[in-house]
Amino acid sequence: MADLSRRALLGVLVAVPHSAPSAVQGYPKARDAVTIGWPGDVAGWDPNRRFVPDAQPIYKMLYDQPLDQDPRLNLVPGLAKAWQLAPDARSLEVELRDDVTFHDGTKLTSADFRWTFHERIAAGHEVDTARSWRKVVDIETPSATRAIMRFGSPAPTAPAWLAFLGSFVVPKHYMQKVGLAAFGAHPVGTGPYRLAEHQPGTRIVLERNDAYWGPKPTMRRVTVQIINNPSARAAAIESGNVDLTVAMPVRETARLGHIATLEAELNPITRIILLQVRDDAGFADRNIRLAAHHAIDKQALSQAFYGNAAVPLSVPVIPGSPGFLDDFTFPHDPDMARELLSRSGYSPAQPARIRMATTRGQFPADYDIARAIVGMWKTVGIEAALEVLDYARYFELNRAGRLPEATLYSFDNAIGDPEAYAAYLLAPHQPYSPWKDTALGEKVRGLFDVPGEAERIAGWRALNREAVEIGACMPLLRSVQTLVRRKDLAYRRFGNGWVLPQTMDWI
Amino acid sequence: MARLAPCGRRLLAIAQRLLAIAQRLLTVLLLLFIVLRVLPADPAAPAAEIGATRQQTSLDEALPMQFAIWLGWLVQGDLGHSSHLDRPVAGLLAEALPATVELAILASSVAVLLGVAGGLVLFALQWGGWQGAGGRGTGGRGTGRRGETRAALAETGTMLLMSIPAFLWALLFILVFGVLLAAMPFTGRLDPGLSRPFITGFLLLDTLLVGDPRAFLSAARHMVLPAVALGIGFAPLVMRVLRASLIEAYQADYILQARLRGLSEEQVLLRHALGHAALPTLGLLRAQCGLLLGAAVLVEVIFAYPGMGRLLVDAMRNTDLSVIQGVVLAYCAVVLSANVLIDGLHLLLNPRPRAR
Repeated sequence: MADLSRRALLGVLVAVPHSAPSAVQGYPKARDAVTIGWPGDVAGWDPNRRFVPDAQPIYKMLYDQPLDQDPRLNLVPGLAKAWQLAPDARSLEVELRDDVTFHDGTKLTSADFRWTFHERIAAGHEVDTARSWRKVVDIETPSATRAIMRFGSPAPTAPAWLAFLGSFVVPKHYMQKVGLAAFGAHPVGTGPYRLAEHQPGTRIVLERNDAYWGPKPTMRRVTVQIINNPSARAAAIESGNVDLTVAMPVRETARLGHIATLEAELNPITRIILLQVRDDAGFADRNIRLAAHHAIDKQALSQAFYGNAAVPLSVPVIPGSPGFLDDFTFPHDPDMARELLSRSGYSPAQPARIRMATTRGQFPADYDIARAIVGMWKTVGIEAALEVLDYARYFELNRAGRLPEATLYSFDNAIGDPEAYAAYLLAPHQPYSPWKDTALGEKVRGLFDVPGEAERIAGWRALNREAVEIGACMPLLRSVQTLVRRKDLAYRRFGNGWVLPQTMDWI
Repeated sequence: MARLAPCGRRLLAIAQRLLAIAQRLLTVLLLLFIVLRVLPADPAAPAAEIGATRQQTSLDEALPMQFAIWLGWLVQGDLGHSSHLDRPVAGLLAEALPATVELAILASSVAVLLGVAGGLVLFALQWGGWQGAGGRGTGGRGTGRRGETRAALAETGTMLLMSIPAFLWALLFILVFGVLLAAMPFTGRLDPGLSRPFITGFLLLDTLLVGDPRAFLSAARHMVLPAVALGIGFAPLVMRVLRASLIEAYQADYILQARLRGLSEEQVLLRHALGHAALPTLGLLRAQCGLLLGAAVLVEVIFAYPGMGRLLVDAMRNTDLSVIQGVVLAYCAVVLSANVLIDGLHLLLNPRPRAR
């Protein structure tokens, strides 16, 4: 249905004159309210439960993290005003603010910190943070504002993880008092907004928390309209139903940019578009994997689908981040691809056959990129059967180890650390990696525990190179976030693609 | 079999009908359970702790035992827990079901209003007015070749309207009234600045109950495009059936008798012909009820309308089996309840069973 509606709508939308939109609401818009068109809903209101990258900006309205990131992704104080990682990376001490209260008026203390990152995990709550904080063996709380995390093995990225996926502090007293189900229905955090209304799959309404400990948001009321279909989001911003929206096709974004009242942006972010690959079935042969990688013209993909805004990648990290390799490129070389395939007995006349999966509409041009890759492969002698997966199905298959030989995916890494790319993409013991080869896996496992920063980064760089050279992953492009907003709506742009209403203002 | 009093017969008929409904419901439950269990998807997979989830949801039991456990939960009003949204399914349905029922009622009203009006116009055009609607002597066409041409045109027009599916109407309305004219909202149920009251779950009713006219108007405006998009596709069916029923009615003896009694053509239409023609139309609505709710799924998705269709599609995207089960069950209950209601109306309007 989504395909039909999208195509049909796109077909007629191109005929729409670029007239200025007018508000369709029954009354004038408030100057301290904003409506966002967002592609997906939250998976419940327990922020520790699921690592869904697109839900993180919504959680950041309700909850706070011990550490935060500035727009350039540097770690900055959040609920913790100071932090210190031990030289052996086996403990992390944090000093919490003493002026933070939850939405129910109770004060945040180190007990809440301990509850979030240790006690509830130990108690068996079904939270994804159980994976990210698996090294925590204890959290000492010498005072109401001091907490010392103790790790079973070195955890050099622990400070970064305090600002990353799911690391939001939840209230111990309230959660224990009302239970998880009631918490999910009436969540309480310390964030700049409190939940006023949630219609699953449709809209989330948040009201400003006037007792917020940090900078007070300008917007008193934020409405997040959940609109799954990219074309419907385009129609919503064009008609004035929403003030800002994201993740639309690049062509549509460019069209909307010509409307006088709208501003369209293509923002490179820290996510990477890549092919996650298996090490068995049709990709058991390294020659086929490498041939598949050599056959892909990444520059052509960027030009065709992102107007050259997406930087081609040779390693699974973005340029400028610590794990990047300036001196390594993996060339587009169809002749080399044919040569590799012929060594294994394949050719365009007798192609190697694999399956490939992609999402459709999850990030700009995902399905189009997948189809183009299938076409590029065909010319060298790889026949790929393409299948479309929903986001949830992707996670399900990945957890179950049932993804096909190649899967096109946009991998999130809001902190930009090389560990958060390669480690989770290539660790066979993690549910995020279809690559199950234990030789590479052992190297990944070892790098998790390297305490020295220089040694750690060097290790990840070498591993990134090796992974590409053996065909364990095929990095394609740096992700580009498409965003369209009303021209008179200002917001702070973050390098990881966060869109935070607490930074918005009407100008 | 001993003859039963009319009241007893009616009670027996009601009991038989309720039993039949229970049987259908149970069959649907069984089919639903089997279909969802043979899907190549592990409902426990999205959860972080697969083992715990399987235990909580009885997925480790044998299939007949799983079905029995599930039925036991249903009887207790426990429809399970959404693995994706982390909320009880019953709570989700309590929000979504009234929204869909509200939409279906409005869409049906649109279909009936447009259908009845269109059916009367078509009939009048074809027969050259009520006076032209002759009895058996006219051979079924009031105005000869002219009437046939009109009938053919009407047939083509209604076929054209019927061939446009609800989702296409929805997209056209969004384009014209939402984007081009920017005159009507087309996402959600309320303007962003307004809060949703929740008393009965029926938003239009709730906004009136809390005395918030602005919210009522906003909710009504948000319902216009989805309701018309959904209803307009069903109107031509009502038109055709009503027109055919009127043609049949005007050939019956009682119409001639009514005319001979000196009743005006309007009185003949309103008192006799329409009453007769309403019965097949009701039968049509009964048959179309399930289709209307099916079409509502697409319309809800397109308009980001928070009803059961939207809930179902999201649940399918996330392999949220408890929600899928709950929504399908609710759909089934709604369709069966609507059928019972329409049957009741049929009984009220149909003189034959009452006369027996």
